[in-house]
Amino acid sequence: MTSEQKFIPKITAFLCNWCSYGAADLAGVSRLSYPSSIRVIRIPCTGRMSPKFILQAFRQGFDGVWVSG
Amino acid sequence: MNEYIEQEARKALEEGFDGVLGLKNRWGQTGPYLFRNEEELDDIQTEPKFGLAKTIRTMLKRRPDLKIAAVLRGCDVRALQELEDLGEISTGNLRYLGISCSLEQAALCNCAKPIYDTATCTGCWNCLEACPEDAIARINTCPILQPSEYNSGLAQRKAIYIPYAQAVPLKATRDREHCLTTTGVMDCKGCENVCQAEAIVHDDQERTKDIEVGSIILSSGFQPFDPSRFDTYSYAEFKNVVTALEFERILAATGPWMGHLVRPGDEQEPKKIAFLQCVGSREMNRCDNEYCSSVCCMYAIKESVIAKEHAADDLDISIYYMDIRTPGKDFERYYEKAKDKGVRFIRSRVHTILEQPDGSLQLQYVTDDGQKLTEDYDMVVLSHGLEISDNARSMAENMGIELTKGGFIQSSDFSPVATNRSGIYACGALAGPKDIPQSVMEASAAACAATSNLSQARHSMTREAQLPPEQNVRGDRPRVGVFVCSCGINIAGVIDVQELVEHARSLPHVEFVDNNLFTCSQDTQDTMARVIREQGLNRVVVAACTPKTHEAVFQETLQAAGLNKYLFEMANIRNQDSWVHGQEPETATRKAKELIGMAVSKVLLNDPLEEVKLDITPAALVIGGGLAGMNAAVELAGQGFQTHLVEQDSQLGGIGRTKRKTVHNEPIQTYLSDMTRRIEEDPLIQAHLQSKVSKVSGFVGNFTSTVTTDGQDTEIEHGAVIIATGAREHIPEEYGYGQDKRIMTNHEIEQALSRKEIDPGSMNTAVFIQCVGSREPQRQYCSRICCTQTLKAALEFKEANPNIQVFVLYRDIRTYGERESLYKEARARGIIFVRFDPESKPEVSLNQDSVEVSLTDPLLGVKLDIQTDLIGLASAVVSRDNSELAQMFKVPVDEDGWFLEAHQKLRPVDFATDGVFMAGTCHYPKPIEESVTQAQAAVARAVCMLSSRELSLPGTVAVIDQSKCVGCGVCWTVCPYQAVSENENKLAEVNRALCKGCGTCVASCRSGAPDLNGFTQEEIFAELDALV
Repeated sequence: MTSEQKFIPKITAFLCNWCSYGAADLAGVSRLSYPSSIRVIRIPCTGRMSPKFILQAFRQGFDGVWVSG
Repeated sequence: MNEYIEQEARKALEEGFDGVLGLKNRWGQTGPYLFRNEEELDDIQTEPKFGLAKTIRTMLKRRPDLKIAAVLRGCDVRALQELEDLGEISTGNLRYLGISCSLEQAALCNCAKPIYDTATCTGCWNCLEACPEDAIARINTCPILQPSEYNSGLAQRKAIYIPYAQAVPLKATRDREHCLTTTGVMDCKGCENVCQAEAIVHDDQERTKDIEVGSIILSSGFQPFDPSRFDTYSYAEFKNVVTALEFERILAATGPWMGHLVRPGDEQEPKKIAFLQCVGSREMNRCDNEYCSSVCCMYAIKESVIAKEHAADDLDISIYYMDIRTPGKDFERYYEKAKDKGVRFIRSRVHTILEQPDGSLQLQYVTDDGQKLTEDYDMVVLSHGLEISDNARSMAENMGIELTKGGFIQSSDFSPVATNRSGIYACGALAGPKDIPQSVMEASAAACAATSNLSQARHSMTREAQLPPEQNVRGDRPRVGVFVCSCGINIAGVIDVQELVEHARSLPHVEFVDNNLFTCSQDTQDTMARVIREQGLNRVVVAACTPKTHEAVFQETLQAAGLNKYLFEMANIRNQDSWVHGQEPETATRKAKELIGMAVSKVLLNDPLEEVKLDITPAALVIGGGLAGMNAAVELAGQGFQTHLVEQDSQLGGIGRTKRKTVHNEPIQTYLSDMTRRIEEDPLIQAHLQSKVSKVSGFVGNFTSTVTTDGQDTEIEHGAVIIATGAREHIPEEYGYGQDKRIMTNHEIEQALSRKEIDPGSMNTAVFIQCVGSREPQRQYCSRICCTQTLKAALEFKEANPNIQVFVLYRDIRTYGERESLYKEARARGIIFVRFDPESKPEVSLNQDSVEVSLTDPLLGVKLDIQTDLIGLASAVVSRDNSELAQMFKVPVDEDGWFLEAHQKLRPVDFATDGVFMAGTCHYPKPIEESVTQAQAAVARAVCMLSSRELSLPGTVAVIDQSKCVGCGVCWTVCPYQAVSENENKLAEVNRALCKGCGTCVASCRSGAPDLNGFTQEEIFAELDALV
């Protein structure tokens, strides 16, 4: 990547079905906008979050992993 | 300028134009109007309030032949020209009557170059190019703007609008009073034209329906007090004086400034905010609201803390109050925390607010010690109270329902949700000012009371869905169907839906792809079910909105087609794609493709899951035979369920046996003996006296409990349990208690009065001391009932002996709700109230023949020595030791020993453990009427479950691979629902009835033995792998 190119991080978000996933839906209802380089994976609870998912996301080439719940 | 416009308009009409479109003031608001004859033109308004371009667009689209002249601003004309360029309209028949904007209007529109010299304007419209306002972007359907109710008027909405982001159902509603079409102003129908679902029917008429019902519940709530009545607070005049409800909207992420804390006057961040309490409550001078609104102290504290969290650290907040009333569960702790966070509490009623030139506000007030002070604030929040609307009052009057002095629904303390008319019940703030937990409890209680008489008819009108048998697709080659939804233009307006369809076709195992305008519409659902059968699909993906709202809808379609409902996934391409990436259609389309790819990868791995059905034992166990427990038992039997009532004492009634009257002077003993008789006579209730629960096993719907009576064990099968073990009085350690018989607790005074052991008639002085053991560091809660009890006793003393001097030494008087009338009466009767701080408590000294109380009066600043014949101590209510029960039912207690509900606001009678409920003072100190309410509420919650014939357990639960499990026990330690336990082989085992499918056990296991159905390791990896 050259210094002129703007770095747009690819982020995967593991969102709890009961709170953050609903909040992401609400962001849409409120017509907020955020970068389209984010991908959401719905999980039933952040309790389900396994370190393996985070490692696998980085292995897949994501620049960041966001866990919210 | 007026003459010019009017002259030109008349000319146009004379020339045979169909009309002149301009603005006219109707019903106090300006709107577009088509002037068709000269007489009407007298009313034409020439202040350009808002643009007419969109109105013209709508009109010309419908009637391109219409020949009209229109009064237009520069920006309107530019918009129309652009519309013509886009081929949307033809302006050939349109005559422009140019109007210039005033400086004020230009400032409002943020217009860079307004024309303000109307005389010299030649109408060349060069200024259009200079207008920074994107007129085209503003042209969306509805031309009307109204203050948004949801945002307390701080933002605007259209005449067709979605009330708020979380509205259920999340659908548009129409404001018939302002819609141009329904009010007959013009034939707009802009929304009807753009609605592809054809859901808008403008000529729809209001209909009246007759519904036959067995019971009615009134729950029309309150209206916030409107402080514009008070000139003191200048709410109507000063922009930076707001109500607490407006402040709440300002703080909200969905509010007018998206949660950014600014003041409305100039949208600057305030650095200093004052809250003024009791606006429209406890106020008899300017309004007739004698009562305390119960909720304002707590919401003011909460809003203060949240505002401090939103703003930078230096936000200074003061709350001006008379008494801080935080008698709810955990409220006192919150109050103390707010003080720690720097919220200032100033005991004073502000008498004057003055506005400064910069919009800030000067408060003038007098402190406790008589100092006159002034202080400047950037913003003032009025903590306005709760009121009953005139509509609600007349509704009650029409129904013949009695109201209290404050206008709330009148009820008995023993049937707190019943009105004077049998079959009509009331709950929530309509039945008295109250907060959310209490309203939720009353709602459940009203449901219990309203269904009690109808329990015979239960299930008689239920219709059950007929589903075809489920086909076994296990092991079949996957055949995936993908349904891509356009959602009108919500998705298709941003995302290239055809590209998605092509992409989906290219994915492995996808056998069928379709695009629908609205996938959720009933006809598409029917088509989908047919396609699944015809194409032999065994997996389905819907790319549309969010599974949060629509997963269940589509799963039903799968079931209707004979497929297991878990063979389904959704790709969220609307809420989390087209709606949030509207500006980047290309990347939004790319994202949508990936989301569909993810869903297909996951659905390929989905297994059909089984929903286990469990039978329910239609019986209940009530633990504790006090007022709450007795009520619960009677109500459960009334609902038709076998009930076991366990009481450790030899008699029913609990602490109620020692009390005479309720707050409204209703006789408790008469009520108790009536309830005891009903329990004894009811064949459905079995009372187990001198008994305790010694062992419990099972889970929701299927408990087995052992009740031990005199060493004899009885096993009871039951589906639900209500815990109502009550509380007890704290034994004071201070104020000389126990050293002299003239120093008694309030409870002892109550007993002594009923046994006539003390005689107020022979006394000269009585002193009551409040907060004995409550609101102390070791017991940081308010006992809720003592202020009322003290005032009742003090008034009784005065009644018996008008010459007696009664002192009440207090910290804050907390006569919440309509109990405030007791406080008012007490002051009117000459009872003397002296406040003290916890740092300078009253001191009690014992002499040979007298008891003396001394303290410093903070108002007068003098030391008072009171010789008294009696000291009444308002001793705290404390919890019983419930640890054994808590362990048996696996339910938590909080740090003060009260049972902890599943959610303090929304599930105030449920435990997190299904099938276990609570009622009465084991939850928190409360008066009789609130205990009865909670008992009825707990019954309603229990009956919800007991009345279902079977319990359906979701398929998305954890499963343990026994071959991988080593029995280390981590999973059963971390499971928050006690669903995992050790089996006979010393390995982990999941109880499906208790598992909530959170997956914590899966994440905790080092051997990978547990997995979560529906969200397996493999499935989540597959989703990740599909993302590139």
